[in-house]
Amino acid sequence: MSSFYRLLIIDDDEVTLESFKEFFQKKNFKVDVANDGLTGLKLLESETPAFDIVITDLVMPGISGVGVTAIVKKKFADMPVIAITGWGEHPEALASEAHADIVLRKPFELAKLEKIILEILDKKQSL
Amino acid sequence: MNAPPPIIGVSENIKRIKELIKHIEDTGLNVVISGETGVGKELIAQNLYYNSPRRGEPFIKVNCAALPEGLLESELFGYEQGAFTGAQKRKRGKFELANRGVLFLDEIGDMSFPLQSKLLHVLQSGEYSPLGSEKQMQTDVWIISATNHELEQDIKNHAFREDLYYRLNIINIYIDPLRKRPEDIAHLVEYYIDTYRKQYGKENIPKPDPEQILKLQNYHWPGNVRELQNVLKKIMVFENWDEAIAGLELYRPEKIDLNATDKEKAILSEIFSVDRIDFNSMESFSLKKARKEIADRIEKEIISRVLEKTKWNRSKAATILKISYKTLLYKITDLDITMPSSE
Repeated sequence: MSSFYRLLIIDDDEVTLESFKEFFQKKNFKVDVANDGLTGLKLLESETPAFDIVITDLVMPGISGVGVTAIVKKKFADMPVIAITGWGEHPEALASEAHADIVLRKPFELAKLEKIILEILDKKQSL
Repeated sequence: MNAPPPIIGVSENIKRIKELIKHIEDTGLNVVISGETGVGKELIAQNLYYNSPRRGEPFIKVNCAALPEGLLESELFGYEQGAFTGAQKRKRGKFELANRGVLFLDEIGDMSFPLQSKLLHVLQSGEYSPLGSEKQMQTDVWIISATNHELEQDIKNHAFREDLYYRLNIINIYIDPLRKRPEDIAHLVEYYIDTYRKQYGKENIPKPDPEQILKLQNYHWPGNVRELQNVLKKIMVFENWDEAIAGLELYRPEKIDLNATDKEKAILSEIFSVDRIDFNSMESFSLKKARKEIADRIEKEIISRVLEKTKWNRSKAATILKISYKTLLYKITDLDITMPSSE
């Protein structure tokens, strides 16, 4: 199924973005990236409902990942959001309050993230 | 609240802020507005409020730096009659007054650590008790904070709670200092001259000429937009541009390249520094000579960088610079460009 899924990944760290993009493209996902929250939201608005899931870093300048999560859930209620948090930063509770589907703490294996994405999206499709 | 003044500017920073506001004004997500003193943080807060569904509800401002800790606490949460000596009647706190509206916490970076803990608790639970009261009050406020501190730094210095920071800073709006966005100055001047003409009843005050605008753009504005407003008010009094802006220093190296790194800025300001030209030795000074001297400095810097990039491959460098190999060799000698010894 994964070849049909389209991901939007939002992170202010270019290296993370590139490595995520490379990994998921190899796994036949369609991947779009944005390096801040506002750019990500604008992409979502212009492309919706083309994206299947949003993966966002939590700590970013401008609109934080918590803000992104809250706004996505308000504007596109059934869009799944995976929130990722860095080392030594603990806004997880906030991400959950903003209704992120999953909050994932770094470091993690990308294969694990892939598994989570597929679980969420396959389940959503079977509904 | 009447309509606040609009957010004015054409710089990338201001355009981005306007765009960001459009995306968040109806969300009620907590915002921190940061930037130097006088950049217009409160104006942004007012615009957020005015464009939000909370318009018409209260907009309550508290300056967290103006009051000592105990007083600020009773300002925020209120107190019951007899809560402490002198509490002769019940006082409603700002949280209660701002209910359903906006609570604008100005200078949040100056709030004491213990009070930060209390504020965090209120934000987490949505409840608080006035001093001397057992009653739990529900709160529904949109918290917009402002600071000229770098809160991340304050967190490292244990002066600001990290967990409170994350809760307040769901959205961060950083306003650049005015010296970093000289392209906004003409627009700000136009708007405020217009406003002040009406306010002071001085419709005859002329608009600035391009040279006067250039002078304003060259100044470094340590007091930011507020300082610019004061200068413009002065013009209303003097009724004369040159007199009002005479005191502004002319020299501002940052103007040269707004995207340059600090190192580049240092080099550029060195190149452009007029101070290095010796006006005193009148016999040897001429505009032509000064122009050549400055052109040489720039040429030297550019050629050096291209050589550095090409690892001193002179024919490659000549191709990039679009000059002949021979001209390049001549320039290297003439401008005294030397190969770094390590290469």
